[in-house]
Amino acid sequence: MNTTLSAILLLSVPGCSLLLAFPALHSRLPCPWSCYVALLPALVLLAVPTVVSLDLPWLLLGSGLGIGGASRWLLAMSVVVWASAATLLHAPAGQPEDSRFTTFFMLSLAGNLGVILATDLVGFFAFSTLMGYSFYGLLVNAGNRAARRAGRVYLGLLILADLALFEALLIAAATAGDLNGDLSFGGVRQAMAQSATPGLYLSMVLVGFALKAGAWPLHFWLPPAFRSARLAVALLLGGVPVAIGLLGAVRWLPLGEIALPDLGLIIQGLGVVAMLYAIMAGLMRAQRKTLPAYAAIVATGLFVTALGVGLADPAVWNQYENQAHFFIVFLGPGLAVLTVGTGWWKERNPYSDAPAKQDDDSAPWFERWPGAVARWAGQMGFDTLPRLRAAWLAEVGCLRPIRAWQRSLDRSERFLRRWSLAITLFLLFGMVVAFVGALSWSG
Amino acid sequence: MNWDAALPLFVLASSLLPGLVIFFLPEERVATRTSLNLAGAVLKLMLVGVMIWGVFYGHHYMIRLPMLPGLDLVLRADPLSMLFVVLSSVLWLVTTVYAIGYLEGSPNRSRFFGFFSLCVTATVGVALAGNLITFLLFYELLTLVTYPLIVHRGTEVARRAGRTYLIYTIAGGALLLIGTAWLYILTGTLDFTARGFLSALDESHHPALIIIFVLLIAGLGVKAALIPLHGWLPQAMVAPAPVSALLHAVAVVKAGAFGIVRVVYDVYGIQFAASLGVALPLAIVAAVTIIYGSVRALFQDDLKRRLAFSTVSQISYIVLGIAIVGPIATVGGLVHLVHQGVMKITLFFCAGNLAETLGIHKVSEMNGVGRRMPWTMVAFTIGAFGMIGAPPLAGFISKWHLGLGALDAGQGWVIFILAGSSLLNAGYFLPILYAAWFRAPPDTWPAERFFGRRETAWALLAPPVLTALLTVATGLLASAPFSPLQWARFITTLEYAP
Repeated sequence: MNTTLSAILLLSVPGCSLLLAFPALHSRLPCPWSCYVALLPALVLLAVPTVVSLDLPWLLLGSGLGIGGASRWLLAMSVVVWASAATLLHAPAGQPEDSRFTTFFMLSLAGNLGVILATDLVGFFAFSTLMGYSFYGLLVNAGNRAARRAGRVYLGLLILADLALFEALLIAAATAGDLNGDLSFGGVRQAMAQSATPGLYLSMVLVGFALKAGAWPLHFWLPPAFRSARLAVALLLGGVPVAIGLLGAVRWLPLGEIALPDLGLIIQGLGVVAMLYAIMAGLMRAQRKTLPAYAAIVATGLFVTALGVGLADPAVWNQYENQAHFFIVFLGPGLAVLTVGTGWWKERNPYSDAPAKQDDDSAPWFERWPGAVARWAGQMGFDTLPRLRAAWLAEVGCLRPIRAWQRSLDRSERFLRRWSLAITLFLLFGMVVAFVGALSWSG
Repeated sequence: MNWDAALPLFVLASSLLPGLVIFFLPEERVATRTSLNLAGAVLKLMLVGVMIWGVFYGHHYMIRLPMLPGLDLVLRADPLSMLFVVLSSVLWLVTTVYAIGYLEGSPNRSRFFGFFSLCVTATVGVALAGNLITFLLFYELLTLVTYPLIVHRGTEVARRAGRTYLIYTIAGGALLLIGTAWLYILTGTLDFTARGFLSALDESHHPALIIIFVLLIAGLGVKAALIPLHGWLPQAMVAPAPVSALLHAVAVVKAGAFGIVRVVYDVYGIQFAASLGVALPLAIVAAVTIIYGSVRALFQDDLKRRLAFSTVSQISYIVLGIAIVGPIATVGGLVHLVHQGVMKITLFFCAGNLAETLGIHKVSEMNGVGRRMPWTMVAFTIGAFGMIGAPPLAGFISKWHLGLGALDAGQGWVIFILAGSSLLNAGYFLPILYAAWFRAPPDTWPAERFFGRRETAWALLAPPVLTALLTVATGLLASAPFSPLQWARFITTLEYAP
């Protein structure tokens, strides 16, 4: 395929969605059609039968895009899931179309498509960050209390995930050699496989992508997100953050290159416990709307078990790698069907659920503590009214020292401002004395 | 005098002469004042363009004017100075456009724009200074010409902030002067030299060199807002938004940070500074400032005050990069000199837009403002995410090099500082974005002004949108030729050459 044409095609896949994120552009088309237009370049790219790749040495720290093999299937799955979500993308009854929602939808779509096409760690990280933060906009768009709380938990864990992955990126770059080291997936896999201490890198990658995919025991954002999201967004949950989290783990981990039997065994154990947990929690749930969330946790548990096997025995991973990719490919559509199915069931049987409780009171007891953390975050980090925050702090006796600490910082800054000249002269005098003392001591 | 010697003088004169003429213009000569301002800014940009091209191809632009016996006033264009000159020139043009819109109809504009031009002249002088005494002259000139800008509104709060600023910076200047004089007595030269000029001194002078280092850094640390010398900066945010933008992104704090770069690299030399044992304490002070500034920002409801504490934190990234002994961290510190400027000026422009258009000064008043002023808040969002260090924005490139540089230099503790700082940045920026985009707007804004179909005046809107685009471009195109990152790598190659 012509190089220029392939470059234009690859860049237009995320680029078209990015352009259509501007309200001035997407508002010119009726709601789902702007989304379909955004998916057109991806469809054209899927129709190209050859492997297409593009080196972009000027982009970020030197990046690239490409498609072939498993990523073609992933792109196809994404087109199906996003197109389905776009079809359901009408405003709730009685509410006007919200341009912001379409903007976040487009940004998230651009991030998702870019992640699939990225051929290096930095590109993957950049697109997944775009996808993750835009998805927050989709989650909280419902505007109710439950959606805001789900969004807070999601955002908090997303920030932690990005921090962990940033650390992993640094370690990978440092291990790969120098500043211009090869940060392609293959290059990093090989570098980490030859590293004497890959432990920290592996831990950061596993934690980072477990947070992004909502894998147990870092799954806390997933059930509230499914519970509060609009159907179009719930449809995307399985195919976007969860599937991309698993894809990240596959691409970043040195699977098939390194044998770590002990770590592999621990991860297998975590995967099995995750499945048992999710089945138990799913059975205890009162609301069917969260059923896909527990199905997702079971699926990620199964995948984590496979990752553990792959880390323990590279040969097994090399043999079944394609199956792992197909698992990710079909996870999104599978969860989407389950989401629509439970929604349909709920519509047909409106009284089949236990009465829906507000907030996370309906969650099993072992899941409620993240809600408490979210409430705390709501007061501390998200409430922009310090007066309210101060009032809340005043109620919690053990946190009073924080206020005292703040006051003491204010006082010390006032003191420094008032006495800055005197302090400077005093320091100067002290330095001269110290210098004279040092000279006389050495002489 | 040939062209190579004259060019640095022309670059200075391109803002100095319009500034001096503007002082004598009557208030009502708006068109003349605007033309002079813009012509000066554009001319400077063109001259700097010529100079940067020449410097890249090894051309030497230098002028040496005798000042005192044995002390010359030296203006010189080297790769490091060009980094700062380009930043100042580009952002001056943008800020001039913004200031024209911001101050439309307000009194004392000739005085304001006169000092505004002198401020940039002093900043460019600081950048082009070829020795420590020339640096000191322009550094002090910067203090004096910035004071009238801070107290421009003439309120009691502004005057108090101006007094605090003067006390801090004059005290800092005194320390810098003593350090410079002491250094001259010791060495007989003050010319900036790649990899420093002190390593040849006898070991018996090392205690004195350590004290001189402390004096110089303390003097420069006032403007660079290193803790505990930062107290003037949050107070100075009472200045008009264009001045805040200039203070925080281009002129004053940058002059301090740039001075620290000069002292560490071109006076002491990074390797010699490390062998004296002064690099690590400097890195620790920078790290403490990064965390302290972020923690303080977290609890501010006044938007500009929150941004001011954010500056306290972010400027220290530059110092941290400089103090970590290693080429990659140096690249991180140098490139953040540019990146922080572009990101922070965006945020201050946006804060100014909110204040001028809707009367919003506090974070608690920003609910739903994204719906009323979408372009301004998109620019703010990009600036904020850049500060957090989200890819592919400019801040990510800085943090990436700082983190990698720390690992390369065997100073892994810096990674935790960067992670903690990113977390705190998210803690004080994301609530603003949440309030702006997802909370319901109030029925009325504190003091709303209408600009027809536009959200605000074009002169107020275009600058933040442009600098937001620069924030994206400097990150996304970091590896393109002539990007700030490539220029920082170019400088580092020279500083670490064997």
